[in-house]
Amino acid sequence: MIRVTALGHYFAPLEDDALLPPLQAALKEAGRGQYRRIDRFVELALLGAGRCAAGRKLAPDCGLYLGSGLGPMGDNVRVQQQLVLERFVPMPFNFINILGSNAGFYVAKDLGLSGQNYFVSRRGASFEAALELAVMDLELGVVRQALVGVVEDVSLPLAEHRLRQGLAPGTRLAEGSHWLLLETSAEEGCKLEYTRHPDAVSLQLALSTFPEVERRGAPTGPFHDSLTGAWVTERLRAGAPQGLIVTAGTGLFHFRP
Amino acid sequence: MAGAYLRGTGLACALGLEAESCVSALLQGRVKPSRVRLEKLSEPAELAYYRIPDGAELFDPQRFERLLPAVLRAAVDEAGLTEAERRVLPLFIGSSCFSIGFSERAYAAALAAGTGAALPMPEVGYDYLAGLTRRILGSNGPHWTWNTACTSSANALLGALRALQLGWCRHALVLGAELANLTTLAGFTGLQLLADAVRPFDARRSGMVLGEGLAVVVLSLEPGSAGGMKLLGGANNCDSHSVTVTHPDGQTVSAVLTQALATAGVPPGEVRGLRAHGTSSPGGDTAEAMGLKRVFDPLPPVTVLKPYLGHTLGACGVNELVLFAGALKRGQLPVTPGFEQRDAALALEPITRPAPAPAGVYLLNHFGFGGNNTVLALEKAP
Repeated sequence: MIRVTALGHYFAPLEDDALLPPLQAALKEAGRGQYRRIDRFVELALLGAGRCAAGRKLAPDCGLYLGSGLGPMGDNVRVQQQLVLERFVPMPFNFINILGSNAGFYVAKDLGLSGQNYFVSRRGASFEAALELAVMDLELGVVRQALVGVVEDVSLPLAEHRLRQGLAPGTRLAEGSHWLLLETSAEEGCKLEYTRHPDAVSLQLALSTFPEVERRGAPTGPFHDSLTGAWVTERLRAGAPQGLIVTAGTGLFHFRP
Repeated sequence: MAGAYLRGTGLACALGLEAESCVSALLQGRVKPSRVRLEKLSEPAELAYYRIPDGAELFDPQRFERLLPAVLRAAVDEAGLTEAERRVLPLFIGSSCFSIGFSERAYAAALAAGTGAALPMPEVGYDYLAGLTRRILGSNGPHWTWNTACTSSANALLGALRALQLGWCRHALVLGAELANLTTLAGFTGLQLLADAVRPFDARRSGMVLGEGLAVVVLSLEPGSAGGMKLLGGANNCDSHSVTVTHPDGQTVSAVLTQALATAGVPPGEVRGLRAHGTSSPGGDTAEAMGLKRVFDPLPPVTVLKPYLGHTLGACGVNELVLFAGALKRGQLPVTPGFEQRDAALALEPITRPAPAPAGVYLLNHFGFGGNNTVLALEKAP
């Protein structure tokens, strides 16, 4: 039986004329370590994962499953400017920061983890993709504890970030980092069940058996890869007495109180 | 737990444009790095590089569209999948370059146009390869895309294996993809990790040589006509010693090797051979050698494939699996070109003469930036 035993959450809507809110104080409050030359994406990952693990000693072999639709955009933009506009070899720390595995490395270092560590993407459903891999490993017994998160950062100016994603001018943007701790040996916590269905008809039949449960299918919006993660962490934090259903393709997650 | 059969393979790399001819070239010892000059930098750099011999402009990102169809179709055709099976085929993708080449080109063109509206990183996200693969195959299955640096496609193989073991699917397609792009070549130049020749575990090793490759494996619960090779198991862990260098004492390398052996149900003494990661970097090879010595006594025959196709980064997991499995099927462990002078500190000598490849279990190591380590266990049937 898989249970959700902790939640971690950071969400910040962004104003067009404002700078990105500094995260150092929040990181310090969450008791996270200080690291040089990390980027915004890593800071967001450290903050959300740190809040999820707050007050707990995670098992060193806890698996880490980080999803993101766009990855570390700030440093990707900076590297491309250095290379194409300024025509310089990218600065080493900027180049390292664009690697998908970078954020997982710092979260593992910060929380003392040495187990499985994945960065995975599926545009529009990166949280679900990470969750599927974590459930897979928990069910197979590859890991007994899994930290699952989704992180989306933005790059300034926001007008360019919107343009990059084909969003209309003025579309509200936000940063997010949303995490769940899943365990197979816990006695308490919301239960998580996952079933795969061969096709959409089978999935609809299964869904019809949960009339009272809150559902979320493919999310849409300007920061949509983190939307499901945000929805799940917020609803579970609020108790979600009827439970939650998240669908990903023909797979169905059922969070059951 | 049951393994999964390598039911179909496809490959394009510096050795050729088709898997069987690449394996033949490997066993003939063909090593052909070329020189690439990064002209567009204010201080142009030149580096050795293993390119796919397609005759196209190296940095043209449209090469994905031209090269990937044949590689995909070779694997799917060999696997003998029906149309219905192709339509629901889940995709497990590992890469470290994705569509970055398209962004570089579009941004440069916009800057050259001088309209003042140039947007850096106009192409975002990691889904380009999944979309292209779906379009070529007409598949509509789910996809997962890994970006864990040099372990990306090895992790995709591990993910596919586990999905099969859980019964989530009967067949799975795994793609490893790396094509030349300015970001990768200039980025590694800036890190000063490159050399002119690959010399794995050699006393004179001084760095890696990059390369490109596209490779596909169809994994299946059923052997099909190709039969013979099975992905048995594997493991992944994270070494938080340094974001760029594996811990030199080999502790995390030995841990992931031990976990991989456990998933395969094989003791170290029964391993018939090992395809080392062997980037030829001073620190990386040291950590790998130290890790191997913690697990094996004596070491099984060790070989390295990067002298043939370069380090294809996130794609090396699938690229080198296709080559290694192809060589094993022909009964041979390929030699390691470039190894000439023993490093007394490592005391590890990869094979320099062809060795037989009997039935049994073989390991493949992968270590990446971000401390990401993955070992795969492959079984050659009797």
